[in-house]
Amino acid sequence: MRRIFQIALGILAAIGGFVDIGDLVFNVEAGAKFGYDLLWVIVVGVVGIIVYSEMCGRVAAVSKRAVFDAIRERLGFGVGLGALVASEVVNLMTLAAEVGGVALALELLSGLSYEALIVVGIVVLGVVIWVAPFEWIERIFGYGGLALLVFVVVAVKLHPEWGSVGHGLVPNVPPSDKLVYAYFAIGLLGAAMTPYEVYFYSSGVVEEGWGPKDLGLNRANSLIGYSLGGLLSFALMITAGALFLPLGIEPQFIGTVALGSQVPLGTIGLLLALVGILFAVGGAAIDTCFSGAYNLAQFFGWEWGKQRRPAGAPRFTIAWAVLLVLALAIIMTGIDPVLLTEYAVIFSVVALPLTYVPILLVANDRAYMGPHVNGKLANAFGLFYLVVILVVAVTAIPLMILTHQGQG
Amino acid sequence: MRLSDLIGTPVRTESGESLGRLRDLRGELGPRSLRVTGLCVGGLGLLERLGVGSPKSGGRLHVHSVVPWSAVVRADRRAIVVRDGTKPH
Amino acid sequence: MSTARELDLGLGVLDHQLVDSEGRRCGNVDDLELSSVREGPPTVTAILVGPPVWRGRGWIGRIAAFLASGQTVRVPWEEVEKIDSAVQLRKPASELRLGRGDDRARPLVDWIPGS
Repeated sequence: MRRIFQIALGILAAIGGFVDIGDLVFNVEAGAKFGYDLLWVIVVGVVGIIVYSEMCGRVAAVSKRAVFDAIRERLGFGVGLGALVASEVVNLMTLAAEVGGVALALELLSGLSYEALIVVGIVVLGVVIWVAPFEWIERIFGYGGLALLVFVVVAVKLHPEWGSVGHGLVPNVPPSDKLVYAYFAIGLLGAAMTPYEVYFYSSGVVEEGWGPKDLGLNRANSLIGYSLGGLLSFALMITAGALFLPLGIEPQFIGTVALGSQVPLGTIGLLLALVGILFAVGGAAIDTCFSGAYNLAQFFGWEWGKQRRPAGAPRFTIAWAVLLVLALAIIMTGIDPVLLTEYAVIFSVVALPLTYVPILLVANDRAYMGPHVNGKLANAFGLFYLVVILVVAVTAIPLMILTHQGQG
Repeated sequence: MRLSDLIGTPVRTESGESLGRLRDLRGELGPRSLRVTGLCVGGLGLLERLGVGSPKSGGRLHVHSVVPWSAVVRADRRAIVVRDGTKPH
Repeated sequence: MSTARELDLGLGVLDHQLVDSEGRRCGNVDDLELSSVREGPPTVTAILVGPPVWRGRGWIGRIAAFLASGQTVRVPWEEVEKIDSAVQLRKPASELRLGRGDDRARPLVDWIPGS
């Protein structure tokens, strides 16, 4: 009984934690530009992250090693360090963008100055990480992020053309603007399959001491959590498609996203949207920050984890603190968080193969995994997504340049 | 000598036939020792580095070819020379 | 008492996590010291850990060794208890002179309440 409760809690936290600033930006922009036509890409992305996350979780539970342990072991010191540097750069960009998003949400809620709120945001995040136990952090930000479910209500209340919505769920090719469409498809995939989530998840699995008996929980978490998170992405895109596209609004600001909730639901809608954004993006910031520290520690063999207490894992602790400070410096330069988000998502997609391939290989290694190696189904999906990831990684930057980041 | 010195070293027979580069060393792990028993050579390089086709890796690909150490005539940083007629299996 | 088993040095030992007798993570296997390579067959005599060791791991390793500080630690192979996904050692890290990076970093952190 307690088990089911645990599962439910984990899943709720996963839903709330699934949407981060990359999802907010790309789902809404894609909806505002192409209406419901890119909904099918969300499906592809959600299945992709389920496959990736389940594999990482299984590897971590069986071998007691997280993602970057496997990366160093399989790619060796040289290539592995390259993968580490690439991941850290992308992580840092993402973290800075998320901190910017938090500050923007706070600014809209409080009316205080953005610059001041950046500092407030960083300090609060730092204190929360230092003081709060692992589970509390996940619960607080996960549940707070559930306020984003208001967009599901919004999407329904806007009475979208459900026929068109259905059409968008099937892979389709646009009559014009094909390159821009492809760019957004890649951005949506990148936003759904964010690597820091799997670094964080696999490290959490090791920290929590999961073992082979928890593989069912791993599967449930991944499957249900991300699916329901995908529902939130649907809601965002449908809202944008129903509201912004007809009005020709191109949402350049986080505030515009929240306003989408105000139109049908008034002030309460706006407040729920802003609170949801604040907690979802804030939680994502913490996950990203930890991921950056986890990766460094795992690659170099340092002690790591919240459970070791800061003094038990000093270099790990210093690592996440330094990452927060660097993120502060980046976002304080005045760079637009939305722009930074777009770059972060595209670059993370380019680096994705480096962290996906070793996990796919380890998951197939009987010496490592024993009876829990990938079965035929896991490999079918695993290989399919390997192809998807490789194609996307190669085409992402050319498309970004050719389409001027989706401006066409 | 270190493992990193040997990996990547060309492996050839006494008469000069190339067997590729040394990809890894096969070893036997005892209670307090780790003895080298063979050379892992040739193959597709990248796949071996990534760990496909090693013992009990469970993969359906077998890109590793192993030469027993008993076939080695000479080994140093520059080259590893094995007896003529050695065929990796 | 473990029976002899086959494993590949580069794949199964090199670049794996080191864990001491108390379960503490204390570094990574940066290289392996081999003896009687010329006389053959070689045996692994020690695990080598530390930034200077990275110099042997390619040009990226040389750059990393240049940027990092620290000393080489030689862990005799007899100190290895067993190998699974990590290399488990027989003694605590401090006795093997491992984990000193964390020891040096600890004073930066432990003065803050709650650490």
